[in-house]
Amino acid sequence: MTLAQIVFYLLATFTLVMAWLSVSARQLFRSAIWLLFALVGVAGIYFWMEMEFIAAVQIVVYVGGVVVLIIFSIFLTNQSGDDMPLAGMRRRIAAALAVLFGIGFTALLVAGHSFTASPEKFDNEVSRIGYAMLDTGVGGYALPFEAVSLLLLAAMVGCIVIAIKDDGRGKANKETSATPEK
Amino acid sequence: MSFETLANWVHNWLYETLHPTVALLVEFAIVGVLIIGLFAVLGLVLVMMERKVSSWMQLRLGPNRIGPWGWFQTVADTLKLIVKEGMTPNNVDKLLFNMAPMLVIVVSMVIMAPIMFAKGIQIWDINIGVLFVAAVSSLSIIGVLMAGWASNNKYSLLGAMRSGAQIVSYELSAGLSILVIVVLTGSLKMSDIVMAQADGWWLFKGHVPAIIAFVIFIIAATAETNRAPFDLAEAESELTAGFHTEYSGMKFALFFLAEYVNIFVVCAIGATLFLGGWMPFHIGNWEGFNHVMDYIPSSVWFFGKTFLLIFVIMWFRWTFPRLRIDQLLSLEWKYLLPISMFNILLVTIIALAGWHF
Amino acid sequence: MTLKQYFSNIFTGVKSLATGMKVTGGYFLRHHKEKITEQYPDNRDTLVLAERFRGEVIMTHDDNNEHACTGCTACELACPNGTIKIITKFDLTPEGKKKKALDTFIYHLELCTMCNLCVEACPTSAITMAPTFEHSVFDRSQLIKKLNKPGSKIREGVE
Repeated sequence: MTLAQIVFYLLATFTLVMAWLSVSARQLFRSAIWLLFALVGVAGIYFWMEMEFIAAVQIVVYVGGVVVLIIFSIFLTNQSGDDMPLAGMRRRIAAALAVLFGIGFTALLVAGHSFTASPEKFDNEVSRIGYAMLDTGVGGYALPFEAVSLLLLAAMVGCIVIAIKDDGRGKANKETSATPEK
Repeated sequence: MSFETLANWVHNWLYETLHPTVALLVEFAIVGVLIIGLFAVLGLVLVMMERKVSSWMQLRLGPNRIGPWGWFQTVADTLKLIVKEGMTPNNVDKLLFNMAPMLVIVVSMVIMAPIMFAKGIQIWDINIGVLFVAAVSSLSIIGVLMAGWASNNKYSLLGAMRSGAQIVSYELSAGLSILVIVVLTGSLKMSDIVMAQADGWWLFKGHVPAIIAFVIFIIAATAETNRAPFDLAEAESELTAGFHTEYSGMKFALFFLAEYVNIFVVCAIGATLFLGGWMPFHIGNWEGFNHVMDYIPSSVWFFGKTFLLIFVIMWFRWTFPRLRIDQLLSLEWKYLLPISMFNILLVTIIALAGWHF
Repeated sequence: MTLKQYFSNIFTGVKSLATGMKVTGGYFLRHHKEKITEQYPDNRDTLVLAERFRGEVIMTHDDNNEHACTGCTACELACPNGTIKIITKFDLTPEGKKKKALDTFIYHLELCTMCNLCVEACPTSAITMAPTFEHSVFDRSQLIKKLNKPGSKIREGVE
């Protein structure tokens, strides 16, 4: 076994153990922390594959963004420090079935795919991703890229609309609701 | 003999005498020991520098009892912290409580990887250099949040939440100001960024956008390292000590050390991006002047620039009063972020038109 | 907020920050010439204390051992924590009238917070704050002081 293989198995074991801990932990916050480590483990596997850009994006988006958001919502939740009740039998069976389905599905895909080693070294230049993102030709991602950015823009505008204080109408509403109480 | 040739000699010797895998592991161990040594030295020097700078800015003497002019004060402090009992209070989440300082210190060690300390001295010339630093540094906030939660203390929790909100917000403008230089260089790699500044630093070559980006980067870096005037996470007068209220002994020391190492790292990144890393200072066609500058070793240039930026950040700390949380967030979202977004548009136009030198 | 206000906000903000940094930077540059730190136990002989330093309350006496206290007890009333106790007596004036005068001015240093209210309350400026601060003693009773010197009397003309 080469060093690279040892590192891969270490990373994979780490990720799996953390993922298992994350679903089995009784405390919400610990669960989030184990999830974080599982995601870092996945990023480690990306690093191992020399896909540095994807690994960095994995850390920025999932660790720096999603998990921090999860932790914040845990902080703002009442009694989140208590142990959660154990899941019932039906939920456990459903979860086990879902896991089995996931494993089976992935195994089927992996078994059906013939992996051929490419003789040339993989080009992991970041600029290639940039060109592919803005390429309008075959194999280019300009359209999905723009569609996703439009979707994000719409979501952001929606957030602002929900969060903004509407001075004129908000005040009017308050006054009308306040008058009957008098 | 420069450090580069020494490193190459050690590298070759190891690979000739040992199995490549073993040689790689030995090199990892050497680098690890060197980094830990650097951490210790940085901790001692930066804490001392902070205390001396603060005292001189307030016309005080500063530490002056241990050693000549008190220079060994931090050594004595470190010894005291090492022999102190590492308390774990009751009713804390013991695992996370003890893991948090480790996580914070490991993260600041990992960020060291792509920094170019001198010509040819770099642990890992990863092709996403600056993005790597931006990504991994977002992990350290997890350590802070973990410490705040595990301490089972309202001050710690509040401090951790403030710190989280602050780091998440200021990461944006720090990232955008880094992008300005990435746009000018056309690469994320640290070595490329340094080489692009061989004929002049980006701060001077990049016109107004580079200067604006530099100012925003310094502000955001101060905020990301939780230093005054952005030290709401610690805020002694409001939250006792924020997320490390419950920590003592070496566990506290690790947080403290990580804070100072993070200052060093952000200043090193700032020096690399805007002040040319280890590149000597050159002026256009002044051959003689440039030649003299080349004689100064590259490590001196790098550390000089880094410590200059560290001094500026310390200067901020001992001048400005602490911001309120709403002022902090409005500074980021109303001022820094729009300006840096506009700035990046400007720099893209300049880079496309080729107006920079 | 108009665009003009937005940019003037930035400008005034940066300007005020630069002003602050100029002050601390100036201190930093001339720190070796000017030091406000007093290395106290070492420089006991040359120690310079600020004029407004408040160490304890004293009563000023002139060369003739005369003070300006009329025994009006204004300071006693002004003191928030009962530090001062004034014992009065009645002197006979040359005309044969009785006149209230100070007998003993008792000052409890151990209770005093150096708030300066007594000094401000005094109508004749008889008491003042002294810049002494080495007050440690082994017995608490030594901190109860009699401020008017033995045999002293009120200065002529002070009402």
